Amino acid sequence: MHIPDAYIPLDQAIVYWIIALPFIIISMKWAKNELEEMKVPILAALAAGIFAIQALNIPIGMGTSGHMVGATLVAIVFASPWAGVLVLTLVLLVQGFGFADGGITTLGANILNMGVISGFVGYYTYTTLRRNFSQSLAAFGGAWLGLFVSAIVCAVQMALAGTFPLVPGLKAMGLFHLIIGFIGEGLITSIVIGAIAKSRPDLLEENRASGTERAKEALA
Amino acid sequence: MKAENMKFLYAGILIALVLSVLAPFLASSDPDGLESAAEGVIEESKMAELEEMEPVVGAPMPDYAIAGMGKSGEIAAIVLGTLLVLGISFGFGKLFNKKV
Repeated sequence: MHIPDAYIPLDQAIVYWIIALPFIIISMKWAKNELEEMKVPILAALAAGIFAIQALNIPIGMGTSGHMVGATLVAIVFASPWAGVLVLTLVLLVQGFGFADGGITTLGANILNMGVISGFVGYYTYTTLRRNFSQSLAAFGGAWLGLFVSAIVCAVQMALAGTFPLVPGLKAMGLFHLIIGFIGEGLITSIVIGAIAKSRPDLLEENRASGTERAKEALA
Repeated sequence: MKAENMKFLYAGILIALVLSVLAPFLASSDPDGLESAAEGVIEESKMAELEEMEPVVGAPMPDYAIAGMGKSGEIAAIVLGTLLVLGISFGFGKLFNKKV
């Protein structure tokens, strides 16, 4: 879903940069105020893994492929969508400047779609589903919806840019990312969260939070 | 720095490097969702025009490849990118974190 320079006129691309910038700055503040120093290796491992897995396009049929985005995964691990924004910003910067995967003028839009929208929708869908469903199902649902909504937003941006006609663009982007979201995002996020929950349950911030709550209850 | 977290980092690096080496062989070369949608909904002449436009800022390894190096160049490009992201995010995290 990396938008190339040619797909968005410069004036609109700048608007997306202006919208994305406060989110990027707050994600840096999140690191400064919330990221524990001992968790830095976790952040770096997730960022490297996401860069690598984004190079692995999965065929979804219809002559189309797609790959994981990963913002929801990072947000769930750190119990904060800002962590997802931060990691995707770093990954997208390297992809844009190093590999021409996504434009530089459109980097703001790409950070907005893949870092902010997919991460926030994914994480808050996860926490909502988590109240009634298992962790793996909630992770699947959150990651899937996060990717799907970001693709819909991307289709609207393409229509505003005059690049795609609105309705056919929405249909094509929606259909492809509905499927990419199932395999590339939902399934992988659910598996990785499951693996972390099993091997390092202490890493998932939500487990630590509930642990503190339990300690508080015990004291009360 | 907790030893267990360093172990997680090493495991993460290993998985990321394995994915980086396999990606040029396993990744589908079909267009991604956005490109495929573009091919489906944009008129051919306009699509050709869009495809001809160069990125505004040139990148050293466009399309995760090194010119003239074939598959080994693709592996090298993705491995380099993975290590770069690793270094940048580690360095960034070291610079910006909650000092306790």
